[in-house]
Amino acid sequence: MISMKNRIITLFGAVALVAAGCSKGTKVAPNNDATLEGQILVDFPANLANPNYLDIETKAGIMKDAITAFIATPTDANLKAAQDAWKNTRAAWESCEGYLFGPVEDFNYDPTMDTWPVNKVDLDAVLASSSALTVSDIDNLEFSLKGFHAIEYVIFGVGGSKKAAQVTDREKTYLASLTQSLYNTTKQLVNSWDPSQSGNFTVQVTTAGKGSARFAKRVDFFKALVGSMADICGEVADSKMHDPFAAQDSTLDESQFSHNSVTDFTNNIKGISNAYLSSYNGASGHSLSELVKSKNASLDAKLQTQMAAAVAAFSLLNGTTFEKAIYDNKDKVTQIQAAIHTLQATLEGDLTTFVETNIKD
Amino acid sequence: MVLAVVVLVKCQKSAVFPEEQYDDRLSGGDETVFSATSTAFGNMFPGLTGYDIHVHQLGDAVFGQTFVTAPAPIHNGLGTIFNNTSCTNCHHNDGIGLPTAGELQSSLLMRISLPGEDAHGGPVPVPSYGVQLQDKAVFGKQPECKVNISYDYKTYSFADGETYELRSPTYTLSNLYTPISGSYLLSPRLAPPMFGLGLLEAVPESEITALQDANDANGDGIKGRANYVWDGATNSRKLGRFGWKANTASILSQVAGAFNQDMGITTSVMPVENSFGQAQYDGLKDDPELPDSLLNAVKFYAQTLGVPARRNTTDATIKRGLQLFVLAKCVNCHKQTLTTGVNIAMPAMSNQVIHPYTDMLLHDMGPGLADNRPDFLAGGRDWRTAALWGVGLFEIVNNPGYYLHDGRARTLTEAIMWHGGEASQSTAYFSNLPKSDRDAVLKFLKSL
Repeated sequence: MISMKNRIITLFGAVALVAAGCSKGTKVAPNNDATLEGQILVDFPANLANPNYLDIETKAGIMKDAITAFIATPTDANLKAAQDAWKNTRAAWESCEGYLFGPVEDFNYDPTMDTWPVNKVDLDAVLASSSALTVSDIDNLEFSLKGFHAIEYVIFGVGGSKKAAQVTDREKTYLASLTQSLYNTTKQLVNSWDPSQSGNFTVQVTTAGKGSARFAKRVDFFKALVGSMADICGEVADSKMHDPFAAQDSTLDESQFSHNSVTDFTNNIKGISNAYLSSYNGASGHSLSELVKSKNASLDAKLQTQMAAAVAAFSLLNGTTFEKAIYDNKDKVTQIQAAIHTLQATLEGDLTTFVETNIKD
Repeated sequence: MVLAVVVLVKCQKSAVFPEEQYDDRLSGGDETVFSATSTAFGNMFPGLTGYDIHVHQLGDAVFGQTFVTAPAPIHNGLGTIFNNTSCTNCHHNDGIGLPTAGELQSSLLMRISLPGEDAHGGPVPVPSYGVQLQDKAVFGKQPECKVNISYDYKTYSFADGETYELRSPTYTLSNLYTPISGSYLLSPRLAPPMFGLGLLEAVPESEITALQDANDANGDGIKGRANYVWDGATNSRKLGRFGWKANTASILSQVAGAFNQDMGITTSVMPVENSFGQAQYDGLKDDPELPDSLLNAVKFYAQTLGVPARRNTTDATIKRGLQLFVLAKCVNCHKQTLTTGVNIAMPAMSNQVIHPYTDMLLHDMGPGLADNRPDFLAGGRDWRTAALWGVGLFEIVNNPGYYLHDGRARTLTEAIMWHGGEASQSTAYFSNLPKSDRDAVLKFLKSL
């Protein structure tokens, strides 16, 4: 049992760490609401949303630079570096899918960056054509011709075996603009929450129930949060995993070119845990977990156990790609889906009831 | 005179919500959902059970899915010409769309026709174009045109001097892929919200037609006529319920029509590509591109989205706003209560008292809103009374939210002040109210 004093020091330390770790800073103004609910409304954007989005931007910048380096020196090593940068950016992005609400949905940053499937017919036609491929041309393309999966298609190739020598000049031009366009979108996403920008969404959260246009009551924020946590469970288990599994067709698998699907799914579920703990990269603050624990410790324990179990379930695959697992490890795929469904049921049941019962204003 | 007004108020007040009409928060009867967040329009009927839940979720997934050019392993059949690439790109968060055309997130489409009526009394297709303009195309194909929208801004005043601004749109076409000879009629249509449609479909035809008052027999200055339209899904003439001019008979026809016309995806209900006979036609023998299982899942999804509950109904200002809404005769068209028919096969939507704030009828809305393009029995100035349930959440679900058939209104005040024709008396009533009362009406609308 950690003493109250130590706990406060730990929390201060965590906040300081976050502030130090972010070059732009994510200092969120207090909201004059000393209740735990009020503190969560400050710490969620301060310790999770802002740092998570900033991390996506940073990593998208590294990916863009890696593509520039690859174009300058098109070696297999530089292609591998670009592929790794894609995976790193992807990890930060997939974890923010654990709480998809706010600008990421309102302004369609999600479909702009992460539409699936790619429109392969049109993408091949674009590459075969001589149409202009500047960043503004990319911005005008349909969602299914840009973003993570268009980049993935070009740098990994069908089957994931692309070599540097196979990347054409036209593909390089396309990649340069695709990665710049994606980076620009991540910047917009960061700005949309940045407390120093006018009209930012952080203020909508911190003032929930106290003047926020978006969340008339504080419970509206918590319901949006829990709803988004439950939604990603359904998205992973019943769509991303279910569709290729039920059809026994790995070409229906989302990150099929990079074979990154299992990592994608795992990070989605970790994102739920981040949302519950107001935590990113170890830094944490006042959280929904703390609120649940203060009134119903067994529910908090149940949720934490189920979140950990859903994340751990992916290790059943032992590194097998999802593209293979749907054929070779059917029982394990089913077990993972079951673990996610168990968590989803608690989020939609007990936790939703808890929020509706305990947060009245 | 003072006495008369007081009596009138009292009398009207008691008619606001008779007790037998249940809880006025339950806009969708048993299928009301208690959500006021950005996902408030996307919740399934609470009454769904078993396999119905699975079908709803399947429809939800397809609704959110981006479609791609055929051939492809999944979600194929987009275009070749289209208005958008997924349902949700227009119906953002299952809500009202964005009034722009031709951009990635645009939700405004343009209907087109020649003057006159076709064999079924409907709009006459324009050769080489049909009855809807597809302003986007897959890579390498030419969109039919570009739709240009420009606004003219004018400032007006309420009786007390407070000003408001209205923007009047002008729509023009450019970049036509082939010339159109002679004159043609245009009608802009904004993607509407998706929830509550199954309940509106379940209201018996007799209940809707009983509300008609084509000759204004009751002398309230408000008429109201049903539209009767040709329903391609059943090859029969039916009561029109959906679309801004009640120009579509059923959710199935609406969904199949949207797949075909808005996205270029063929179904068993509409198996011919929207570009058939045109230069853009794909020539693939892959129709219908969307299997019946998925078409029906999306239809079922649209049928079973619950209605958000009203909020703060006991607030004194909101109650005052509702009284004024009644006194302004807004309710004479925006009918508060309808009852769905008994349906043993679908208990969730059977015999429900609902509060949609629509009579499902056509009304003359005056020259300001007119598109001057008839659609079956709907004339150029007629629009179907928009259901107002959920209208108070547009700002949250579709930040910032737009109103009316083409999204010209940016606020509820603008939407009210655009009303003309049969609604002129209500607009005048609102305009003459003191500011505190106008605000009460708006606060009431925000509670819907």
